Amino acid sequence: MHFRERLQAWRYNLIPDHVIGELLQKRWIDNAIPFLALVIVVAGFGSAIPGFFNPASLQDSTRQLGEFTLVVIGLTVVMLGGGIDLSVGSIFALGCFAAVACFFLFHLPTGVAFLAALGVGVLFGAANGYLVGYLRLRAFITTLVTFIIGRAIYDILVVSFGARVQLSDAQSDLWDFIGDGTLLGMSVSVLAALALAVVTHVVLTRARPGWHVLAVGGSRRSAHNAGIRVRRTVFLTYVFSGACAGAAGFLIATRLSGAGPGTGQGLEILALTAAVVGGNSLGGGRGSVVKGIMGAVIVLVMTNGLIRLGYGTGTNQMVLGLLLAAAVTIDIRWLKNRHKVLNEVYVAPVYLRMGETQSAAPGSGTPYALNNRLAEAEAIGLGDLEGPEDVILDRDDHLYCGTRHGEIVRFFAPDYTRSEVFAHVGGFPLGLAFDRAGNLLSCVGAMGLYRISPDRRVTRLSAETRRSWTSIQDDARLRDPNDLDIAPDGKVYFTDSTKRYDAHDWALDSIENRATGRLLVYDPATGRTRTLLDGYRYTNGVTLAHDNRSVLFCESWACRIHRYWLDGPKAGTAECLIRDMPGYPDNINRASDGTYWMAWLGMRTPSFDLSLRHPGMRRRMARRLPQDEWLFPNINTGGVVKFNDRGEILQTFGDLTGTAHPMVTSMREHKGYLYIGGILNNRIGRYRIEGADPTWTANDAYWGRP
Amino acid sequence: MRLDPLLDLFRGRAITIPPLDGALRPNTALDAAPVFDGLAAPDNLSWLDGRLVCSSGATVLALQAGQRLPLAEFPAEVTALSVSPAGALVVATDDGRLSEGGQAVPLPGGVACITALAHGPDGTLWLANGSRHHPASGWVADLMERGASGAVWRRRPGAGWEQVAGGLAWPNGLLPGTAGCIVSEAWRHRLIRLESGRLDPVLLHLPGYPARLCPAAEGGAWLAVFAPRTRLIEFVLQETRYRHDMMAEVPRDYWIAPALASGRSFLEPLQCGGIRTMGVHKAWSPSRSYGLVVRLGPDMAPVASLHSRANGQRHGVTSVHETDGRLYIAAKGGDAVLEVTA
Repeated sequence: MHFRERLQAWRYNLIPDHVIGELLQKRWIDNAIPFLALVIVVAGFGSAIPGFFNPASLQDSTRQLGEFTLVVIGLTVVMLGGGIDLSVGSIFALGCFAAVACFFLFHLPTGVAFLAALGVGVLFGAANGYLVGYLRLRAFITTLVTFIIGRAIYDILVVSFGARVQLSDAQSDLWDFIGDGTLLGMSVSVLAALALAVVTHVVLTRARPGWHVLAVGGSRRSAHNAGIRVRRTVFLTYVFSGACAGAAGFLIATRLSGAGPGTGQGLEILALTAAVVGGNSLGGGRGSVVKGIMGAVIVLVMTNGLIRLGYGTGTNQMVLGLLLAAAVTIDIRWLKNRHKVLNEVYVAPVYLRMGETQSAAPGSGTPYALNNRLAEAEAIGLGDLEGPEDVILDRDDHLYCGTRHGEIVRFFAPDYTRSEVFAHVGGFPLGLAFDRAGNLLSCVGAMGLYRISPDRRVTRLSAETRRSWTSIQDDARLRDPNDLDIAPDGKVYFTDSTKRYDAHDWALDSIENRATGRLLVYDPATGRTRTLLDGYRYTNGVTLAHDNRSVLFCESWACRIHRYWLDGPKAGTAECLIRDMPGYPDNINRASDGTYWMAWLGMRTPSFDLSLRHPGMRRRMARRLPQDEWLFPNINTGGVVKFNDRGEILQTFGDLTGTAHPMVTSMREHKGYLYIGGILNNRIGRYRIEGADPTWTANDAYWGRP
Repeated sequence: MRLDPLLDLFRGRAITIPPLDGALRPNTALDAAPVFDGLAAPDNLSWLDGRLVCSSGATVLALQAGQRLPLAEFPAEVTALSVSPAGALVVATDDGRLSEGGQAVPLPGGVACITALAHGPDGTLWLANGSRHHPASGWVADLMERGASGAVWRRRPGAGWEQVAGGLAWPNGLLPGTAGCIVSEAWRHRLIRLESGRLDPVLLHLPGYPARLCPAAEGGAWLAVFAPRTRLIEFVLQETRYRHDMMAEVPRDYWIAPALASGRSFLEPLQCGGIRTMGVHKAWSPSRSYGLVVRLGPDMAPVASLHSRANGQRHGVTSVHETDGRLYIAAKGGDAVLEVTA
């Protein structure tokens, strides 16, 4: 190997490029930019201002932060629902006044003052909500109006009653504690903000009302079509926002023990900036409480920091405006380009040098030499079927196959001209197997391992295994369950081909060629699925050896067959049985004479093998060419290959014309015939095997004669 | 976007090829055309004594009413032929020789890859030499090496050989006029006019690799386009390391390169769009071979075209000839000479 090639191998196999694509797929990656901004702002002002981090100063800042965060959380929820609330500042002020008035003027208990503040908030929020939600007025204008009216009322009240508040002698320990005291080192307002944040977060991400808000914000019409009561949901978001602002007003009332003309002035701009800077989309539907909190911290640290550094209000406002502009721009560009970037970087090829192979060309004299025999197969379901990946026959000789529509279709013996939909599973049913009781088990692409009972009841057996420690993408989920076989003890051995691509994108996995295929076992006794082997290049067909002491499985993109020992001295380990085949193996099944059939889904081509040694070329190809132009392995020619327990190739069948069976993904021997399926084919082939036992069926071989 | 030139430094320039649109809109005219003669690998067509003359392998034949009459046999594959106004057959072969009426013609040095021959109205013999480094049959290697060592020569009646233009990227077809000559320059996907020492582009951005030209009765010309451009091939042409390794290690028939016919071996490269799905090979799929004949108007702009698409058979058209309102088309990759109404 040249030094350059070795360098390529290191570069592409050791640096985990695929992580970028997986990170970009995460929902929380939206938080990256606001988080970065947060770190920069805190670190910047923390180092510029002496004593920024000392406890007393921090205590005061956090008290303010608690109140502010309450308001921002409320506004965030409104924005998630697709609205905007400019009246939070005046509601905040009115809430403050309500609390102050109750406590100082009417000498009511602190609790009543709190309820009054909350009530004012709910009242104004409900007014907003009614106008915006039910009467469907524009949120911007409506809340601007409430903002002006609220502010006006507040100013009148403050002028009329401000002096009397000052003279009041009302006293309460509870009031003072809320305003001044700490619990576990934290002020009440911080605790309140934290509690509200946790509750709101849980509701938004885990509960029905929260999902409704996100759905309405994401798409009103779709939400309506899905049966969500859009108007009520919008209404409730404003009520919630009002309540939050009212509660925050109560907190500032206790802190300042009064209400002045400046209370809550400009708060709506601060809160809006915080929510947007945190990364909540102005368009609705995208965002979270965490983002709101991050934004709140950024904005408060920045404004307070600027004031302490001696900058005036003008500078402060200017910085806020610029911050808002930047956040909105980034939000829009990010939203627009994220999927493009993802498309371009997701395919992250690795280096692989395929072993030299024997030729499969007809007349080459090797055991692999293909022929045209499959072209003679008679067609079943021609024109009706789409995508029979695997085929299987039951004890009554009926023929079953999956289709790309997510159905299991049954063809009736003896002539297989009539068919019915046996069961609808969904997904893409791939591998099939009958268990002892006559249930049909299927690996369903994109879904998991399913069981269909003879009376057509569909049950999910498994959809996940244990997550690996280093995974970024959730690899507990079965992404591409492909083929299965059942051991005499009922355990189901099956493969999950790739962690990187969904079932319908299976061929893309060959371009990347990353080894993420798994061999799994499902134990019906416990209902648990365990990962036996990981790190193969597209694990595919599985079959139990005739003596049931090992499992044979294939590794498609590496063109290998492996044996996993269940029993004996090598139990629990795998060894390679056949390597460097000229074709890509798919399903494996038992043959009547104690050997095995394997399907070839495609053939290696020298140009593609070479491209596997040029991962950089493949990466650029994936970025610069549309997918239809990508170089693929030749999956327009496949075949059926017979091999024995020693890994010797005994026989091959092909269809070089490509008219009947271009790609072969499965075959099943049954009473002297071979039934042939193809994931991209429009038929099942039925081919008479010369010299095969005309009485042999897989059901008898696995489970004995009934 | 305005940032694209900057981003291109990191991600590479976008690869685009001209769309098949307008006068080049795809049809199935070549697949629908009747077969005049099912000759294997017909190449250069011409007209002699009221009969169609065609080269196939090392033989030159006259084709008439289903009969094949061998006119001449050569030790190597015939790469180009032309009939002089006097009726002499001028034939070039892959071993770098040229014969005129059975007599060997001495050639200037470096001319051993004759891809096209044509006689001008004044009897001048024009000669296109595809490359200095490869024989005519090695065209694919010259393309993948991004060769540009071709030249156009002429021999005026009674004079010696004279180079008209050099440094051409595989000149592959000639259309002499009274003053100069129009040349198809394959690897640059264009037609150029060579006239009084100047080189002017005539038709740029062809969606395929042009081959031979033939005058049309109503003015203008017929252009055979022997292989399509695909984005994958254009991409591979930019991928120097991969391309060099491919040329060194992969048998030539299985390169990612244009071809006269494709899909005949499972060792050939396959592109995603070419996957046979539910028994269908999509007509639009990217393919290494294609059949295309373009009718050029008097101003050498395309006005109509005949196609054999990715799922068709009449690929690799290298030569056309129009006589008496009949158009003969040699589909070298499709093993057929076709006849249509011009």
